[in-house]
Amino acid sequence: MMTFSKRRLLGISFLFFISLLLWIANELVVVSLNPSHFFTGWVLLVTLLGLTLFNVRKKLPFLPLGSASAWTQFHIYAGFFSVVSFVLHVGWKFPQGPIQVVLFALFVGVTGSGIFGLFLSRTFPALITTHGENVLFERIPVFRNKLRAELEASVLDFVDKTNSETVADFYIERLSNFFDRPRNYWHHLLQSTRPLISLLHEIEIHQRFVNSKEQEFLDLIKGMVKQKNNLDYQYALQMTLKGWLFVHIPMTYSLMIISVLHAFIAYAFYGGVS
Amino acid sequence: MAKKFVRIPFSPLKNAMALPSQITRPERWDVPFGDEMSDDDVERILAIPPFSRIDERAFPRSTPLRGILLNDTRIERYTPGELVVIEKDYGNSAFFILSGTVRVELEKEGEFHEEKLWRKHHNPKGWMAALAQLWRNPKLPETRNPAQYEKQIGKSGEPYIRSDRKVRIRLKNVSQILKKYKTVPIEKGQFFGEISALGRTPRTASIFAEEETELLEIRWQGLRELRQRVPEIKEHIDRLYRERALSAELQDHPIFAHLPGEDLQHVIDQTEFATFGNYDWFASFNRLAEKKTSERLKNEPLIALEGHHPNGLMIVRSGFARVSHAFGEGHRTISYIGKGQSYGLSEIVHNWKHQQQEPYQYSLRAIGYVDMLLIPTVVMEKLVLPGLSQKLLPPRLEKLSNNRGQLPELDAKIRRSQAEIDDKFLEFLVENRFMNGTATMLIDMDRCVHCDDCVRACAAAHNNNPRFIRHGPTEWEIMVANSCMHCMDPVCMIGCPTGAIHRSSQGQVVIDDATCIGCTTCANSCPYHNIRMVQIRNASGKLILGNDNAPIIKATKCDLCIDQLKGPACQRACPHDALKRINMFERESLIAWLNR
Repeated sequence: MMTFSKRRLLGISFLFFISLLLWIANELVVVSLNPSHFFTGWVLLVTLLGLTLFNVRKKLPFLPLGSASAWTQFHIYAGFFSVVSFVLHVGWKFPQGPIQVVLFALFVGVTGSGIFGLFLSRTFPALITTHGENVLFERIPVFRNKLRAELEASVLDFVDKTNSETVADFYIERLSNFFDRPRNYWHHLLQSTRPLISLLHEIEIHQRFVNSKEQEFLDLIKGMVKQKNNLDYQYALQMTLKGWLFVHIPMTYSLMIISVLHAFIAYAFYGGVS
Repeated sequence: MAKKFVRIPFSPLKNAMALPSQITRPERWDVPFGDEMSDDDVERILAIPPFSRIDERAFPRSTPLRGILLNDTRIERYTPGELVVIEKDYGNSAFFILSGTVRVELEKEGEFHEEKLWRKHHNPKGWMAALAQLWRNPKLPETRNPAQYEKQIGKSGEPYIRSDRKVRIRLKNVSQILKKYKTVPIEKGQFFGEISALGRTPRTASIFAEEETELLEIRWQGLRELRQRVPEIKEHIDRLYRERALSAELQDHPIFAHLPGEDLQHVIDQTEFATFGNYDWFASFNRLAEKKTSERLKNEPLIALEGHHPNGLMIVRSGFARVSHAFGEGHRTISYIGKGQSYGLSEIVHNWKHQQQEPYQYSLRAIGYVDMLLIPTVVMEKLVLPGLSQKLLPPRLEKLSNNRGQLPELDAKIRRSQAEIDDKFLEFLVENRFMNGTATMLIDMDRCVHCDDCVRACAAAHNNNPRFIRHGPTEWEIMVANSCMHCMDPVCMIGCPTGAIHRSSQGQVVIDDATCIGCTTCANSCPYHNIRMVQIRNASGKLILGNDNAPIIKATKCDLCIDQLKGPACQRACPHDALKRINMFERESLIAWLNR
């Protein structure tokens, strides 16, 4: 079985080689006084089409169309190759004209979101694994609601038994919102534990002014806060892992449609040598 | 304010909770094999040879012969054509013919050969049929066409429920089958099915009743007692095993492949059989898994102890054993061995080559249940080792005394596994019995992006019903997902009344939907909780009901995409190489995958 590092080395070497070939071919086209834009344009269009087919492969898992992991590797390196093709196609210039500008923006958007997605795919799984219990994304709302219901019931029970309102007030003012829905999305993405530390700190401040029974109860609440924080963390990272595709895929389809339109216009308005 | 006194009524429940609970201590025969066995039945059996010749004094008071017959046996009646055992199925019982005759089909491609029974044939779909799943897959979960159950029966037999509620499979045209195919009779007073029951191996042939037949079915626990206490039965079983199975098993083993017929026969004659542990390990292992390693080891029967003289080569016939090494105050798991793998070869070869007396370097314990063959050292030295190829000889042994606390060498494979599989991960695999899997779904959580493409692919390949849950115990960043592992020791197959759950000709454990009667035996037996019972619906989403107006229930699980092109869709759909189906006995693949 090929190791990841060996596969990466092979992929990068192949990318470099094929990019070099493209550059040489493009130079030959330029030297032969033919319009190189058509050549690089077709290379780019075919590459983009190949990249888009990955999504089709995903929709047909029962057909022997190669493993998704092989397609992913192709997608990654063909994606980088498309950047080389794109640069050669536009010639290091910012485009003019509305369609070209839109195309440029879409290409940058698709490439940027793709690289961002690759970064997320290679970093977030390990972060999720090492941060508390791994929870199925679809089950997070269930666990959150269960945790909130448990906390609410515990607080009501505690108030009922002790007639103390300190904990109940704290729950209403500070905890109810926290347990209500996912919180601190951006903090979790940036691996910041500040909101958690801050909330635990507030609980500890309260513990200084309450009796021993309430202190014990607040300790219990601290445990639940940590559990909720882990759910929020899982939610934030898993949501982002799924969410980036909602940017990448629609932009890809827009890019494909406008690319075809662009090619059509390019041929329609090309005078050329007759 | 004066306190109001309330009289608290006496609550027997509360009172009982205050005291330690007391129940009757569970005993071996709390749940007898058959409910209908009576003392009269026992008397009747004891009047029939060989039971009439058994000396009851040979049995201890805790497990008397009459108790065994009353609790570990049952009388089953079969009408002509009814199948008693099906080839390749697993069983936990043997049979003794009280009256009538049964027949064994000798032809592998005969009328009731496993492949020709009612079970669905698993041929991979063609391209068009595979593609058609895109629009043919139903939108609703667990949808079935009720018509498929009306005429689901194949060529030879069909499961049906008799008036006495027994599920049987009846062959049609018995007289024609007898004319057309080569069969042999087994008559009154003979045993059959004992090798498969004791060795937990698949049935080697299908057997059906030729006439009205009465059989004494003996579960393996009772059979084991009888074998231990009754020399006649022991001799009979051992003789059958030596004649029918051992020769083929040894010939297939690389260590014995070079032996000429005469020497092989001598080895066969000298081979001893031993069984360790509990056949029903799956019932208790979850409870044991929660205990500390040292306590768990105490519950694992010791087969051989490191430091002891190697009195023979041990080969696992069925089940699993843990290879461990004393380390500090405990034992460190070095490896696990299963069917066909051996223990003790290095020591025997070392002592033979160097004329030394090195003891076993490791301890061997039964994980749950293990059936072993022991080939005495003398036989190994005299007959086997002289002609053994150099390639098969293990590397030189390192002395245990110089190495205490470190890991000595056993053989190349184990050495590699201990070097590259984390100790804790190895323990995790053994404690949870995950090494039982031949297609265990492992997910590298450091690479899994939670995209659920694997789940979607599984659903797409199974009429929109995912057959696994992407969740499960995790160790060393590796998750063992809740998916059928297609076990080497498939305990789920034991007790299926219709043979619906079976091993396909390609090795997958599959459930035939048409013949599953929803009895939940397989789901309850699966120690990994990988079989789910579902209520089935028609195309409009309404439950399919039986004659009693209760919903029809079916067992479902991963079938390793047996009828799909190119195997398991889950593995092929994973875009990040996070998911892999691995045979846990191909340690090279496991190590390579873990160290990618």
